[in-house]
Amino acid sequence: MFLTRSEYDRGVNTFSPEGRLFQVEYAIEAIKLGSTAIAVRTDEGVVMAVEKRVTSPLLEPSSIEKVAEIDEHIGVAMSGLTADARTLIDHGRVETQQHRFTYNEPMPLESVTQSLCDLALRFGEDDNDEGGMSRPFGVALLVAGWDAEGGPVLFHTDPSGTYVKYDAKAIGSGSEGAQTALQESYRKDMTLKEAEVLALSTLKQVMEEKVTATNVDIARVAPKWHLYTPEEVEEVITRL
Amino acid sequence: MAAALPVRAQVPAAGAEVRQHATWSPYDDNGGTVVAVAGDDYCVVAASTRMSTGYSILTRDKTKILRLNPKCVVASAGMQADMETLHKMLHMHHVKYHFNHRKPMSCPATAQLLSNTLYYKRFFPYYTFNLCAGLDEEGRGAVYTYDAIGSYERVGYGCQGSGKELIQPVLDNQLKAASPLVLPQQQWLSSLPLGRPCSHQQTSPALTNLQQWLSSLPLEQAVDLVKGAFVSAGERDIYTGDDVEILVITKEGVRTDRLELKRD
Amino acid sequence: MAGQGGFAFDLCKRNEFLEAKGAKHPGFTKTGTTIAGIIYKDGVVLGADTRSTAGTTVADKNCEKIHYIAPNIYCCGAGTAADTENVTGMVASQLELHRYATGTQSRVVTAMTLLKSHLFRYQGHVSAALVLGGVDFRGPHLFTVYPHGSTDSLPYCTMGSGSLNAMAVFEAGYKDDLTKEEAMELVARAIRSGVFNDLGSGSNVDLCVITKEGVEYKRNYELLQGKTYQRQFPQRFAAGSVPVVRERVYDIRRAVTVTEGEPMEMES
Repeated sequence: MFLTRSEYDRGVNTFSPEGRLFQVEYAIEAIKLGSTAIAVRTDEGVVMAVEKRVTSPLLEPSSIEKVAEIDEHIGVAMSGLTADARTLIDHGRVETQQHRFTYNEPMPLESVTQSLCDLALRFGEDDNDEGGMSRPFGVALLVAGWDAEGGPVLFHTDPSGTYVKYDAKAIGSGSEGAQTALQESYRKDMTLKEAEVLALSTLKQVMEEKVTATNVDIARVAPKWHLYTPEEVEEVITRL
Repeated sequence: MAAALPVRAQVPAAGAEVRQHATWSPYDDNGGTVVAVAGDDYCVVAASTRMSTGYSILTRDKTKILRLNPKCVVASAGMQADMETLHKMLHMHHVKYHFNHRKPMSCPATAQLLSNTLYYKRFFPYYTFNLCAGLDEEGRGAVYTYDAIGSYERVGYGCQGSGKELIQPVLDNQLKAASPLVLPQQQWLSSLPLGRPCSHQQTSPALTNLQQWLSSLPLEQAVDLVKGAFVSAGERDIYTGDDVEILVITKEGVRTDRLELKRD
Repeated sequence: MAGQGGFAFDLCKRNEFLEAKGAKHPGFTKTGTTIAGIIYKDGVVLGADTRSTAGTTVADKNCEKIHYIAPNIYCCGAGTAADTENVTGMVASQLELHRYATGTQSRVVTAMTLLKSHLFRYQGHVSAALVLGGVDFRGPHLFTVYPHGSTDSLPYCTMGSGSLNAMAVFEAGYKDDLTKEEAMELVARAIRSGVFNDLGSGSNVDLCVITKEGVEYKRNYELLQGKTYQRQFPQRFAAGSVPVVRERVYDIRRAVTVTEGEPMEMES
């Protein structure tokens, strides 16, 4: 299947005759190999649940970080090449702090997302330049936040630098099944507690292992970022 | 007899000429006064329109107020050239902010930006004395007062420029306390925290004080006070005169008013 | 240099030295001013504004800048208020004495000479810039006297920070042998131009018309502009708004001793 693409699948700056950028498409493919991450928006806030693949009993589960705080009103869940996410997260943290310094206010969520996507798109620039990249990021993000004006918001970004607003979104290896499940069960008038259950139960459906407090992370922005403690995760599990 | 040699007038050695001292200054004071008073749901901003240098009037009709959006303005006195540059800079930032964040810059955000812009030139400051005024995110009147290098503070009313020595005490008397001996004064006026604006923040006692005080001053009285203050300053300050431009900022928008002052 | 007579400017030297070292001298009221004078067919018209300033604040909104020198001579003053008041007062006294001694009307040149010699003696440190006008047996005279002691004799002249504004009006409107009304209007217009265009000048116009028949001193000939706004909600503080912090009552009879005295003897 891939053999026919050999002419156009190397350079990130070269379109194929069909009008495709293969490297970007491959990067999007890479996300489908990642662990599943789910986010659900309600009027009370946004909940994120992510799977942590604990591949060995010798692995320390708390060292796997798949959700991160950008600013006190913004968090992200990631899937794909999570190492790439670090660059994006650092960038987001600098941008939000910069905004606070300049305007003494939290940065609007869409502006943060736009800024992350601007960075994601810089793979096209000459890599001799400062900050130039050799390839697209291999990671997708669920950007969850609380806007001063609009309240809770959720965005999804991918390696092409595209961002879209969602009520509920799943990314990663189990995303197809999870997205269908979310579509069936999501309601606009959900409470935050219901959203915790929806996110975690959906994650449970697509996970091979049994859900425990060590192999999932839950975080929320309502209106501030909060990463659930193992006890709080346990409490959500009991409600499934 | 050896006559004493005539003493030559002392000629400075080459290269040691008497140095002409540099009297040129990059700054000029073009005078003018700006005042702002915040109310419960309005803000009154006023500026004299005379622009002068030395004993000369350069124009009788120069606005000192930059209208960024219906909820935020910046009023500046001092040197006109620096004011113009500063206003252009703020306007540009405001437009960019609008593009990037899809909303107009709020008054508290503009206040912080102005502070940063002034401090950026800490060692060659803009010769401007500013007030940032409008409505905050909760719709209350907001006034921020600055020094030339960006130190700022949220207050209930403020005054800057050539007439401030004349007007500020009047505002203190009318809006704070009849006498410095009368206690308690409206202490929030100098102790309102700038803090991070967040709608979920607990209301501070200073803010409660502010709300109480603000609701006690009707708009017509605030405008009357500002007009009276300008007319009096116009009597005694040679740089305050010709006209006062008065903006009344409410949630309905910005209304302008104009009052003639003496032209001498 | 003791015993040699003349003036010592040691203190001026000292002051310059101290100033160079950073010492600050007390400020004085400088009247940024517009004053002007004109000779017309039958006499002289002098004019002045009435603003007195201290730095950038107005110290007096209606001061008098046309000073009496003699019944037939008046003098407008610009510069340091204290200097113009005192120098004109001194000359007025000297001329008064001179009239007692001679029984003749004072001559304008005499006043001018007294002024210039006093000012020259002080090398410009007495900062008085004057417009001197009057009518004597030789007819109308008009002089300007500069702080260093130089003088000009002119048909029309101006002084002070508004002198250029006023002179512009004179240059545009002066003609020989104006009538009294024309001359008064022209001087008033010259002063008005200073009042409105020079920040050192303001408030009202004073005029003084001197002819051989006598003097018409028109104080506040023109009242130019009143306040433009009256407060609609004037604040009145009730009695007791300001608390009395401490109160002490002294019995003045204990502090003062009243003694009966002998009436002073008077010679009849």
